Amino acid sequence: MNRLTSARRWLAAIRTATGGVRRHKLQAVVIGAVLLIATASATLGFALLSASNAPFQHAFTAQRGAHAAVGVDAAKASPAQLAATTHLPGVTAAAGPFGTDTVATALGGQLFGQLTLSGRANPGGPVDDLVLSAGHWASGPGQLVLDGQSAPPGSGGPVLGATVTVTSLRGQPKLTIVGFANSVTSTADGWVTPSEITQLQATAPAANGQGTRHAQVPGAQASTQMLYRFTKAASFSQVRADVATVSRALPSGAVTGTVSWLSAANESTGNGSIMEPFVVAFALIGLIMAVLIVGNVVSGAVVASYQRIGVLKSLGLTPGQVVVAYLGRVGWPALAGALFGVVAGNLLALPVLNDSAGAYGVGRQSVPWWASVAAPLGMLALTGLAAAGPAIRAGRLSAVQAIAAGRAPRAGRGYAAHRLAARLRLPRPLGLGLAAPFARPARTLVGLAAICFGATAVIFAVGLSSSLGRAEQAQNHSASAPVVMQQNVNGPQQQFPSAAQDAAMVAVLRAQPGTAHYVAEYDNQVKVTGLAGNVFARVYGGDAAWIGFGQIAGHWPDGPGQIDVNTAFLTQSGLAIGSPVTVNTGTAQVTARIAGEVFDPGGHPDLFGSAGTLPGMATTENLSQYYVGLKPGTTASAYREAVNRALGTGNAWQAYPPQGGNFYSIASELIGLLSLMVAVAAGLGVLNTVLMTTRDRVHDLGVYKALGMRPRQLLVMVLGWVAGPAVIAGAIAAPAAVALNSATVRAMAGTAHTAIPASFTAVFPPSRLALLALAALVIAVAGAFLPASWAARARPATALRTE
Amino acid sequence: MRERGRFGAEMTMSGEVIRLDGVTKNYQAGGPPALDNVHLRVTAGDVLAVMGPSGSGKSTLLNLVAGLDRPTAGQVAIAGRRIDKLSETALARFRARHVGIIFQFFNLLDDLTVEDNVLLPAQLAGASRRQARARADELLERMGITQYRNAYPARMSGGQRQRVAIARALVNSPELLLADEPTGALDTATGQQIAGLLRELNADGQTLVLVTHDRSLAQRFAARTVELVDGQLMSDTAAGVPA
Repeated sequence: MNRLTSARRWLAAIRTATGGVRRHKLQAVVIGAVLLIATASATLGFALLSASNAPFQHAFTAQRGAHAAVGVDAAKASPAQLAATTHLPGVTAAAGPFGTDTVATALGGQLFGQLTLSGRANPGGPVDDLVLSAGHWASGPGQLVLDGQSAPPGSGGPVLGATVTVTSLRGQPKLTIVGFANSVTSTADGWVTPSEITQLQATAPAANGQGTRHAQVPGAQASTQMLYRFTKAASFSQVRADVATVSRALPSGAVTGTVSWLSAANESTGNGSIMEPFVVAFALIGLIMAVLIVGNVVSGAVVASYQRIGVLKSLGLTPGQVVVAYLGRVGWPALAGALFGVVAGNLLALPVLNDSAGAYGVGRQSVPWWASVAAPLGMLALTGLAAAGPAIRAGRLSAVQAIAAGRAPRAGRGYAAHRLAARLRLPRPLGLGLAAPFARPARTLVGLAAICFGATAVIFAVGLSSSLGRAEQAQNHSASAPVVMQQNVNGPQQQFPSAAQDAAMVAVLRAQPGTAHYVAEYDNQVKVTGLAGNVFARVYGGDAAWIGFGQIAGHWPDGPGQIDVNTAFLTQSGLAIGSPVTVNTGTAQVTARIAGEVFDPGGHPDLFGSAGTLPGMATTENLSQYYVGLKPGTTASAYREAVNRALGTGNAWQAYPPQGGNFYSIASELIGLLSLMVAVAAGLGVLNTVLMTTRDRVHDLGVYKALGMRPRQLLVMVLGWVAGPAVIAGAIAAPAAVALNSATVRAMAGTAHTAIPASFTAVFPPSRLALLALAALVIAVAGAFLPASWAARARPATALRTE
Repeated sequence: MRERGRFGAEMTMSGEVIRLDGVTKNYQAGGPPALDNVHLRVTAGDVLAVMGPSGSGKSTLLNLVAGLDRPTAGQVAIAGRRIDKLSETALARFRARHVGIIFQFFNLLDDLTVEDNVLLPAQLAGASRRQARARADELLERMGITQYRNAYPARMSGGQRQRVAIARALVNSPELLLADEPTGALDTATGQQIAGLLRELNADGQTLVLVTHDRSLAQRFAARTVELVDGQLMSDTAAGVPA
């Protein structure tokens, strides 16, 4: 009987809570919305953290990546022999044979480079499960699915429906892009149907002699590809041994080439590790903000209910029932918000993880199951903790104390601030607004922290974009040399342009009125005493200082006998700027002095010098490209078109734009998206803080209005509540973002085995930083504007009645 | 015929400060009206007492006259100007300049000093700092609370707080002073002091509308008393004689 009575009492408490939710719809909506946003942010944060953790390995496992892609001469190995290799010891799975062909292509009248096409009936299979990121799989003649990694959709390159012309084959067959897919180990540049590949293999090279070396002729050997997964493939030697087993099982000479998964893994690890520091930074900012906002809103909601708690206690609710009632009151909307938040987080994560996958160079990334569990559970636990403290306190208070505590902020707080504000020569509403935050210092601090995190994210994002932009320019020299002259991939079938062709091309450059500078670059491997293995040497035929290298230390070679090197060179050789080095170019051995260290990421040692310093390097065989600087006012694209027109079709040389900015553009997109999300979350945090404060102070607002405060004055006053904290937040966020940017850029550089020039982190001149610090004010005002407008529009009689 | 009143408001030659024509207020559609077709006129210098039981519509009437709320139907004109159609901004400007309100529970802003509370309406209305301070000094002295100018309301007695509220209501020299149960939260002696203060103000020509439950206060103090029952004006008595 007693138990029944007790149960009824507890049920009454729960009903009280449910009734509270129904009666306080706005508060319930706010709690639900905040939990939704926080859970979505946390889900996304966890997903990003997971995505940054060994992304290639995860994608390789998920997509059953090929440990080895083996090229086979179909004329030498029969399908039966190939099928037999799938049962060899050590082979755990295999796919193929897929017909392949390497062809030269054009897109929209412009060269599109060589593509290795593979004939596959579908994207799935036991090995190399392709991820279709856009469009559909090739199902008929003339359809092409492009590798999304080499030509990512939305990157300004090819689009669905575009036509790729195979220029190296007779009749120049046309292929329509019907989809984009990703192979985790890039087993091909594009895929067509098996019958299409057979047809391409059977087509003769173009009659104009522009067919590439790789083009097949009718009746010649057809190339096929086998994809294998092995029991042991952790190292290059293991993969070589596995492929040797396959080779032995096939007729001699049947295997024409092998691509190991470790090559793709190494390349992807380089990209991925560079991305990791800033992805982690954004994920942590998002998570901390979610925690702050939830704590603030939930504890505020319970404190706002103190008056009602007091009334309920006076009606006989026990302290325990009060705690249960108010945990329940925030619990239901919190639960609903958390559940919707997981769904929203998963939806939000889709485009972000698409970008992230592109940047990491993997086909697909998904939200891990544990993120969809941990985020809502974590946020609900946080809600419980945030609500429990005030609820337990309310349970312990006497009824009268609870009623009094719920009516107003603790008396005495903020009085001095108001007195000071009254003496300042400020518009009175602004003075009242600026002093108000001192009445609720804890809430103000949490709001300030949310604004601070949001502003830090925005300033950090702008700085990181600038830093990456400078790194990009230092790598591809796009700012100073927007045109590069390179060997025409669709040109005559000879190995190197002749000296006469070089001279003719230089004459064309000289004849262009827009030419400001040009310089030839010769590349080859050299030996350096004290360094094992080869060193990659970039040698310039003239003054190259104008190209715009990122100078980390020292200076660019400005006289004979000087070279510059990259960080990996100094690290591996143990040498320093000023040290002499002996370089063997293959034709001569010279001693040069290291004049400077330049930005050239990667673990491989590189050196840079002039043709005079490094004799024997400036040969036709080593000639790689010409950098061309333009006079002010010259448009790069028009210049390239003019040069290519002057050179004529089929010339050995062709003008191209600088390449190598794909990683940077994807990273910039990701940074923009993440910072926007964090800023929006911060704005919503401000909205909730202001909403709670307007609820607390609704009676005072009514009094202000009764005394003649106009709506605009009230708007100014409410915006003033957040303006002060925003200014402080901006002052904290600006140096914090500068430090975060420096740390992140250095961490990214560290993973790329390079130091960085000081200019990469010096992206915040004082005027720019001051302007960026206003982001805090923008976030605060944007977040506060809606509740401020509601307060401004409310009728004074309504506000005075609401107590 | 109209003439300019203080602060530029128009006042009819007949001296009507308040004119309500067929005013109805419904808070809920379909529900009983809080005020039902009320007609009322108050001339300059009058003291009108509004009486009635709880829920009779007294406070609603006061809110409409103060421009704190809008009628569902009918017209409200104060100092010759229709206020029921004004925008929120114009209403706020109107309240700041033409109406002073005294509340039962004072409604002082606890985080402002007495002086800052009194100065606030003048500052919101855009009065010069010097003028506002001079007027506040004058009122604080008249209310006998000069020594509390730097005190905070929460530390003052009820009577002292109501004096602060009266000074605040008068700082812009409004044509109309509205008092909602001004002695309701005070003990008898303090209530009488406040009533005396209001009487002095009226003697100086201040038009006053007094909402009260206290019949003896109304009889001693008001030249005219109206009684509301269920939102309807049931009686209108001038100095004990039906008007």
